[in-house]
Amino acid sequence: MFSSINSRAIVPVACAVTGFVIACCVLLYTFVKSDLITGEIHHAADLADTVIKSTRYAMLHDDRETLSQIIHNIGDQKQVEHVRIFNKKGLIMFSRDNSEVDNFIDKTAAGCNECHAESKPKRKLGAMEQARQFTNNDGHDVLAITAPIYNEPECSNAACHFHDAGQSLLGTLDIGVSQAPLKKTLTQLKGRMIMFSGMVLVLTVGAVCALLYRQVFLPIKQLVDFTERAPDDSLNSDFPEVSGEVAKLANAFQKMTARVKELEERHPQSKEAPSKDPLP
Amino acid sequence: MSQAGPHPDGQQMSGRDELRQRIEARIRRLERVSLAGLWSMVLFLIISFGAYENFSFFPEISEDFRRMLGAPPPSEMISLALVIYAFSGIVGTLARMSRNIKPFRGLMHTAFFAAFYAFYFLSGVLPDNFWAVFFAGLSVMGLENYYLWAHSNEALQKEREMLARLRGDGE
Repeated sequence: MFSSINSRAIVPVACAVTGFVIACCVLLYTFVKSDLITGEIHHAADLADTVIKSTRYAMLHDDRETLSQIIHNIGDQKQVEHVRIFNKKGLIMFSRDNSEVDNFIDKTAAGCNECHAESKPKRKLGAMEQARQFTNNDGHDVLAITAPIYNEPECSNAACHFHDAGQSLLGTLDIGVSQAPLKKTLTQLKGRMIMFSGMVLVLTVGAVCALLYRQVFLPIKQLVDFTERAPDDSLNSDFPEVSGEVAKLANAFQKMTARVKELEERHPQSKEAPSKDPLP
Repeated sequence: MSQAGPHPDGQQMSGRDELRQRIEARIRRLERVSLAGLWSMVLFLIISFGAYENFSFFPEISEDFRRMLGAPPPSEMISLALVIYAFSGIVGTLARMSRNIKPFRGLMHTAFFAAFYAFYFLSGVLPDNFWAVFFAGLSVMGLENYYLWAHSNEALQKEREMLARLRGDGE
């Protein structure tokens, strides 16, 4: 396989370039994927914040019907897979899915155990820690955010209900958005990167091959053909169309052959009886 | 070359035989060297197989041990280091090839790529980055091992030619 100069020059370069380009593309894809997921998490966290702010007035006035209507309307959006609000004890108070209401949430489920892993639950979480990715019962990939609803002076001072000032957490909003658009974008990105990498590889390896062939292999082949010609042929005819080092080599060979021929003509006996030992 | 030393068996050995034995020993050593790169490649592939399985055959790392190790470096930094290492590895091998400097024979590359797998594993992002380390390792070690093989083969061919000439002269 590696006997010819072509394969010895091209195969290692092609393999090294291919491996490096694939490694870089995988890393680039991972970076872009990570950035897109981070953006999606921030977007979902903003959405959860918007929901909490939108429901704040209804909560302060203990307007459960309006609150339920808001939750249903948000849940009816195409990208929203689920939306629910549960109290500190984990009892689901409002949900788009009516069958969930008045049931306790599973604290050991993915997303909940971020806060409840230790005996004392965490009080504050960053946007990235609030997020969880999972496949729901319908088989859809979901990115969910759990946003805590903290007690505020307006809540504890409100005349309508009973939250005391010492209670830090009133409840949690859990909203899940579909990851289908993100997955579709990532699939498109993967396809485009594979295509782009393939083109870069073909161009790089092709250009290296073409240049090596034109600049090195072809002149060498011409030189080999020239030197392997029958000794009686005229050396002046069919001189290879080469330049640079290969031309110098062809000239040197031509001079050497002419000199050997001259010597042979001067001493014809040496041509007829060559030495047995070619080595000096 | 014509010097003749005493043979362990007590027989007088000609200089030609001694030279032939030396060449044969060199050929055996070069044959071993040309295969040496293969072992580092095999080791890398075995480690890669473990990494592909996310080292699931190892017992889970305890929280205390993780705390002792400290916070893992960000995955972006590991990826940057991987790109720099792979790039400099390929450029280094190509430079040694062009200057005909003796190829590297050790297990350094295998150890470095195993370390990249370990860092990604400890950062919890090994499944996402496995193929990057695998292809980077394959290209760097493949090129290095090809050079080792080609370099050894070239020397081997010269030694064999010398041996053949020596045998030819002896007959």
